[in-house]
Amino acid sequence: MAAILKAENLRVEFRSREAAQGTKVALRGLNLEVNAGEVFGYLGPNGAGKTTTMNVLLGFVQPTSGAASLFGIDVRQPIARQRIGYLPELTYYYKFLSAEELLRFYSTLFGLSRLEADRRIDELLKLVELEHARKRPIRTYSKGMQQRAGLAQALINNPDLLVLDEPTSGLDPLGRMKVRQIIQRLKGEGKTVFFSSHELGEVETVCDRVGIIHQGELKVVGPISEIRQPRHANLEQAFLEIIGFETQSAS
Amino acid sequence: MKTILAVAGVVIKELYRRKDFYVLFIVTMLICLIMASVRIFNDDKIIRYLKELCLLLVWVSSLVIAITTTARQIPAERENRTLLPLLAKPVTRTQLLLGKFLGCWLACGIALVCFYLFFGALAASREHQWPLLNYFQAASLHWFMLGIVIAMVLLGSLVFAAPSSNSTICFVVVGGILLLGRHLDSVALTLPEPVRSVFLIIYYSIPHLEFFDVRDLIIHDWPLIHWGYYGLALIYGIGYMVVFLTGASLVFRRQSVN
Amino acid sequence: MSGPRIQIWFLILLLVVCFALACPLQSRFVAWPGSRANGDVFAITLGESRKLFANEFFVKADSYYHSGFYPTIFDDNRAFKTAHMAEDTGAVNSQNHGEEESFMGPPRNWIDAFGRHFMPDRHTHLDEGGASGDLSGSEGVREILPWLKLSADLDPQNVQNYIVTAYWLRQRMHQPKTAQEVLLEGLHENPGSCDILFELGRLYAESDHDTNRAVNVWMAGLHNWRPVKGTEDEVAANNFIYEKLATQMGAEQADVGNWQAAIQWFEKAKAVSKTPDGLQQMIELLQQHHSIKPKP
Ligand SMILES: Nc1ncnc2c1ncn2[C@@H]1O[C@H](COP(=O)(O)OP(=O)(O)OP(=O)(O)O)[C@@H](O)[C@H]1O
Ligand SMILES: [Mg+2]
Repeated sequence: MAAILKAENLRVEFRSREAAQGTKVALRGLNLEVNAGEVFGYLGPNGAGKTTTMNVLLGFVQPTSGAASLFGIDVRQPIARQRIGYLPELTYYYKFLSAEELLRFYSTLFGLSRLEADRRIDELLKLVELEHARKRPIRTYSKGMQQRAGLAQALINNPDLLVLDEPTSGLDPLGRMKVRQIIQRLKGEGKTVFFSSHELGEVETVCDRVGIIHQGELKVVGPISEIRQPRHANLEQAFLEIIGFETQSAS
Repeated sequence: MKTILAVAGVVIKELYRRKDFYVLFIVTMLICLIMASVRIFNDDKIIRYLKELCLLLVWVSSLVIAITTTARQIPAERENRTLLPLLAKPVTRTQLLLGKFLGCWLACGIALVCFYLFFGALAASREHQWPLLNYFQAASLHWFMLGIVIAMVLLGSLVFAAPSSNSTICFVVVGGILLLGRHLDSVALTLPEPVRSVFLIIYYSIPHLEFFDVRDLIIHDWPLIHWGYYGLALIYGIGYMVVFLTGASLVFRRQSVN
Repeated sequence: MSGPRIQIWFLILLLVVCFALACPLQSRFVAWPGSRANGDVFAITLGESRKLFANEFFVKADSYYHSGFYPTIFDDNRAFKTAHMAEDTGAVNSQNHGEEESFMGPPRNWIDAFGRHFMPDRHTHLDEGGASGDLSGSEGVREILPWLKLSADLDPQNVQNYIVTAYWLRQRMHQPKTAQEVLLEGLHENPGSCDILFELGRLYAESDHDTNRAVNVWMAGLHNWRPVKGTEDEVAANNFIYEKLATQMGAEQADVGNWQAAIQWFEKAKAVSKTPDGLQQMIELLQQHHSIKPKP
């Protein structure tokens, strides 16, 4: 299978004035490959480097060393982002626009024709259940509605690769289930999904493969069954052990 | 190009959905109308003081709109994290900057049209004449001056972190150039050597915004500016816009956004 | 429903209380000796600094008189030391010398040269049609009036304001009545001012053709005149107005055939004049006249 998302030996250091201790290493030589058509779950505790990985993949942050590519194109070239959809964590959008205007704006950036954009916008607003609020400014949306608008925005160009940073955060159980359904549907359509999450349960249900990152290093990669089997019956315990936390039951 | 226009469209939408512009316009109108109602020696044909006041308000308002809106653009995108989904689209940072620039510039252009229409109506109400070409020259030069200011503020918004400090600095710089720019070389000659060179370097490198300030010609009914020099001034303005935007693009390309 | 309504009533009540309180407080405040409220609005907001502003606006009026073609503090303003709009009234001692057109000097560099295409570039006066050169528009001099009015409001002690305003109202805008009001107001602010009395006399003589009244006013001016001790300019300005008053009196006396008195006035004028030659000629002319037709 072809790797459509690839990170080689990524190292990211933050040299900021805020980091009083000098440089802060967010990623230490990360190697990662996501293949076409799979759903990849990216796990790790807070501050492990998940968002940073995605930031590098989308060209927001220049890696100190190493390289990253999407569809075989270096991420520094904007064309690499033509076929991807991205949902940032903590989504905020132009508050003075309505969901419809927002989606139309993004569709223009992808060069969609008016007709195609109209069709796509209707379809997506129905998918994320924001049809009733399509003309309202985003300022008036609830957190979950904003998150759903973000998901719609990530899908506007019918992308082949989706990069989702904690797509279910801020959603109620029903909303989470719907996001899971959307991910599964996309997988059915042959799309690739790369997403980070803290919800091990949902990762277990939708992911083909999982990677666990801790302190900027990828600890394990593989199908869930592989990660689970040699150690414990349950992903949570495996996760905790990999990140070096001794559970009470283990001791 | 489509991308740049789309980004510009969002900027313009934001501006007319906010209330700043309307407030400034109405305040300008009110002050002018109040001043117009003051009778001086029972002569209702006196107009130039009113033209001057109105133009002064238009200039101040336009600078306020241009500087505050532009200074807000990129920092707001960062703060609200809208920069992330935006740059995740096939948009280069240069395109984003150009879109922001064009949006602010066009928005200011729309505002200027409103202001100058009001000004023309006010002047015509007493003078009974419409020197359309003169107004066109004045408004277009004004607009190009705002273009330089917007490009400069955009660069500033990438260099200085806080939008408020950027706005303040830009206000001081623009005001300083408009008031003193023409005389900096004369001032330099009165100063001792190391400072003199600094002043001269500043004099030769700043954009001379005062070229674009032809209010005196409008107020006092001077004949048109020679079109050749008018064209040169526009080219001069575009030159500085390109310089500032290139600088901004170079700075922005090195910055990480997260 | 009742919540907001109560709040609105409460607000109205508060407003009423504020107004009610304001009335007694206001009268107290005005009575208080340190209050600035006794002056006009400028006195309240600007205090003593208003004289500076007043001068600024006076200069502004002169810049309007030139349709914006005016030197800045960085230019050579020797030809603009005395406002031309005041100089042209003939009632102010002029200190101008040098070129009026070229106060900016030759272009210093290409920036300066280029910038001059975007500025007023000819020396014109509003009473002569201004920038458009259209002589029928000599009433355009009205445009200097707002600034003069503002200047006079800020600094009522500057007598030039009243003279200039009245002169142009009378000369180009054919409003002698308004001009007279301006001068009388000036006189009210500056009792006995020789300069204002001089201009008032001219107004009576030239617009009202009331020579007797004019002579009375001029006499009052001469009566009020005192030599001053001060800078050269102050002395010159003071002497200038005496010369003007005396010359006017001489001319009036000559008109009614009082040669002797006329010559006396001209002699007095000559004594303080900076340019006595013209007066000397006048005196000689009169003396010849006098010798041909001796007084009976
Ligand atoms: N701009 C920055 N300057 C300095 N340090 C940074 C910066 N961005 C991220 N970091 C640091 O890099 C590390 C990785 O952060 P990252 O946001 O990738 O974590 P994460 O795995 O997404 O965590 P979470 O689950 O909380 O979202 C953290 O220690 C963080 O403090
Ligand atoms: Mg994160």
